[in-house]
Amino acid sequence: MTVEKPLPSPDPVTAPYWNAAAERRFVLPRCEDCGRHHFYPRSVCPHCGSSQLAWGEVSGRGEVYSYTVIHRAPSAAFAPDVPYAVALIALEEGPHLMSHVVGCAPGEVHIGLPVQVDFRDAGDGVLLPVFAPR
Amino acid sequence: MIATPLHLLDCAIVSDGAAAAIVTSAERAKDFPRPPAYLLGSGYGVRHSHIGEHTRITETGAIDSGRAAFRTAGLTPADVDVAQLYDCFTITVIVELEDLGFCKKGEGGAFVEGGRIALGGKLPVTTHGGLLSAGHPGVGGGFFHVLEAVRQVRREAGARQVPDVNVALAHGNGGVISVHCTVLLGGADTRTS
Repeated sequence: MTVEKPLPSPDPVTAPYWNAAAERRFVLPRCEDCGRHHFYPRSVCPHCGSSQLAWGEVSGRGEVYSYTVIHRAPSAAFAPDVPYAVALIALEEGPHLMSHVVGCAPGEVHIGLPVQVDFRDAGDGVLLPVFAPR
Repeated sequence: MIATPLHLLDCAIVSDGAAAAIVTSAERAKDFPRPPAYLLGSGYGVRHSHIGEHTRITETGAIDSGRAAFRTAGLTPADVDVAQLYDCFTITVIVELEDLGFCKKGEGGAFVEGGRIALGGKLPVTTHGGLLSAGHPGVGGGFFHVLEAVRQVRREAGARQVPDVNVALAHGNGGVISVHCTVLLGGADTRTS
């Protein structure tokens, strides 16, 4: 029996993120009033309260802010993947986001590791932004 | 190993369970058969929703909830006789001890060494066993800490009673270390009127 992993459920606020990822583009929402980026996507800027938001492509560069290596799978779908690294990525543009670090052994992940976005095929046309050492 | 650096015994025990309390005025409580625990102070703090947006991961909303609770009670951490701290993981207890002001940031690990937070220590913590050693039924799990604080200030905690408790602190958090609440409860000796 195949156990499937959960996939994103895009809504009007988050669809631009997932649509861009499906095209291997990494985008973030940016406030047109205060100029700052944020993540996760929202209808209102968490920094200044403005609703004048626009999506734009960003560098995809960042560094590992903190991380853990998962040894016990949270569900059967992840059992083939362990051990794997889950990290908070500090993006060059400011926001932090949670993702996976791929492209190296989990034991090589460390705080401050410079990373670059990559995309992992999750099936059904969904690409997940993940990060690899650069 | 579950998720580095947390091993099995660093994680809460998922269990069934429930908890409840009667909240009423101090005036009405006089007619109740059991002595009340008085609410001396309370506070609330939230610094993020999803932990992914947390940019200062070693500091939590417990800083804000603790300050508010101590300010409204007119007390300091030195006045606390027993602390019931939300212990979903071992590190949570250490961070809460720091953020609530029992020790400085970064010193929580050393603070808990040598039996300081055990029964008989200077600051007994989570005397009912907590989420780590008694059980974690979700929302009810956090409320066990409040009930234990009540039992301690009523001085009816039996074999785990901390001597001469006047002030007990209970702290909970929800989400992913997102939302923090602190209450300070007092026994009969804290009520002068």
